[in-house]
Amino acid sequence: MKILVSIKQVPDLESRFKLNEKGNWVVESDLAFRLNEYDEYAIEEAVRLKEKIGTDDVDITVLSIGPERVKEVIKKALAMGIDRGIYIKDNEAFSKDPFRIATIIHECVKDHGYDIIFTGMQSNDRSSCQVGVFLGELLGISTITTIIGFEYNNNVVTVKRELEGGKKMVLKCRLPLLLTCQLGLNTPRYPTLPNIMKAKKKEIKEYDVNDFDKITNNITITKLNYPEKKSKAEFLEGSVSDIAPKLVKIIKSKI
Amino acid sequence: MDFELTEDHKMLQGVVRDFAKNELSKYSKLNDQQHKIADEIIIRLKELGFFGVYLPEEYGGAGLDIMSYIIVIEELSKFCSATGVLISAHTSLCCDPIYQFGSEQQKSKYLSMLATGEKIGCILLTEPDAGSDVAAISTEYIVKDDYYLINGSKIFITNGGYKGIGILFATKDKALRHKGLSAFIVDLNSDSVEIIKNEDKMGIRGTFTTAFAINNLKVPKENLLGKEGDGFKIAMATLNGGRIGIAAQALGIAEGAFDKAKEYAKIRKQFGKSLSEFQAIQFKFADMATKIETAKLITYKAGWLKDNGKTNAMESAMCKLYASNTAMFVTNEALQIHGGYGYICDYEIERMFRDAKITEIYEGTSEIQKIVISNMLFKG
Repeated sequence: MKILVSIKQVPDLESRFKLNEKGNWVVESDLAFRLNEYDEYAIEEAVRLKEKIGTDDVDITVLSIGPERVKEVIKKALAMGIDRGIYIKDNEAFSKDPFRIATIIHECVKDHGYDIIFTGMQSNDRSSCQVGVFLGELLGISTITTIIGFEYNNNVVTVKRELEGGKKMVLKCRLPLLLTCQLGLNTPRYPTLPNIMKAKKKEIKEYDVNDFDKITNNITITKLNYPEKKSKAEFLEGSVSDIAPKLVKIIKSKI
Repeated sequence: MDFELTEDHKMLQGVVRDFAKNELSKYSKLNDQQHKIADEIIIRLKELGFFGVYLPEEYGGAGLDIMSYIIVIEELSKFCSATGVLISAHTSLCCDPIYQFGSEQQKSKYLSMLATGEKIGCILLTEPDAGSDVAAISTEYIVKDDYYLINGSKIFITNGGYKGIGILFATKDKALRHKGLSAFIVDLNSDSVEIIKNEDKMGIRGTFTTAFAINNLKVPKENLLGKEGDGFKIAMATLNGGRIGIAAQALGIAEGAFDKAKEYAKIRKQFGKSLSEFQAIQFKFADMATKIETAKLITYKAGWLKDNGKTNAMESAMCKLYASNTAMFVTNEALQIHGGYGYICDYEIERMFRDAKITEIYEGTSEIQKIVISNMLFKG
């Protein structure tokens, strides 16, 4: 079985964000970056499947697009148990719209014959929730979004999805298929130090984005804004017996 | 010249940082209060491979480099410096001398137990009358037919309470001073090794700081580390390597305290504005940040020298001296910024302040570091 996990490196949400001069993206030089949270669930689920089926029968590839720094998240995925990596170098990845990113991935992997593709249901930075869905469509395979449960038995996948209002839906689907992963699917592991070392020996194939980038943007970001300051946080100080009545009063006034 | 961490190091840093922040931080207060690092944490450290960061894979280590080791200790120490020094003392003071001076048989037997954390390591060097003056050791060994018979007492043994594996230093004849010293690999799980007590102390209270009585301990001949009389050389080389680990711990303490103070200065309001808006407070941050950056640069440089097989004894002493001084400076200022809240135990800054002091004392006091540095400057 061949599995693909498509991941993205995103700014750490604890970074201090500054808008660039054009006001259409953030200044990246001051940011710390990390693996997109939802992609971490995707990696974990792929590795668990490999551990369940047997390591010899499953081969997992991780793919990411971006400037050199994104190799860091590819290496993390390899250290978590992914077998090999594909890195598509693109210093302008941030400016490409979700459909264009999906076509780049599609051009790269369309002949690889993956049985299952896992990806995050959205990215922490753009939150468009589109790349996975577009990729499934371009590949002409079934796509199930926002999964919170996954089981595999004899070429049939059973997944649980989350719906509005806390409702759950269970679906069965044949391979091949693409799944976008939601919070609650699993608790991703920390790579162990010996596995971090082993990951250094795993193959990462490098490509240039121009090999796969065939279209132009349909969507461009024109402006980003800082959130408006609506209400300010209030800190209560003093002993518990001082704070508790104040807190109750505030809560009552808001109900 | 390149001042950036490699992608591998950045990735490792992210992993250890997430672990320290999400898991270890929940135990730092508890570890301090219970005078013991929680079993749950020890188990996680084993699972993640933190007991053998740079030991070769063939002995069960992770096979990473010294820079990775620095990153691990630094990141752990931001949230729990007792856990940082557990790893540092275990690795630098026990695994490292076996790795450097041990026979192949000693390495495959002992490093494999240590690298996985199955046994926790320590060094038994200090005695009531032999601290900085290592040559004054009076724990004595007698050569028997097929073993060494050892008697004496040891104090201030970091990690001693685990009764794992120890590198024990003893003399053939005290009058020989440093020439009489030999080092032995000792399984401390023996009736002849008695824990007198685990000390109650000011900081790093999660670690064991143990006093031992050694009564007629029989050590097999094959457990002699190096040759007879190599003890002083082994001790000095080991302490030299340990300095980088303690510098990393001190750096982590300073960074942890800095982060807490910065968070606090932004939310705490007095006279209608945040503390961070007062220049008197801003200048404290400027001083702290500058010292932290300097400590980091010299610690990383010492690690880089070691990784590249270059001489690093001077830089190791410098980074230990500077980073421990920085830890004291920063925790003091960070506590001052917290005001009265810093002094109470609900805010973790007081623990960091208590933890910082030991970094100026153990594995060579600051004064000893200055002797090491000036000796190298003037004696070549």
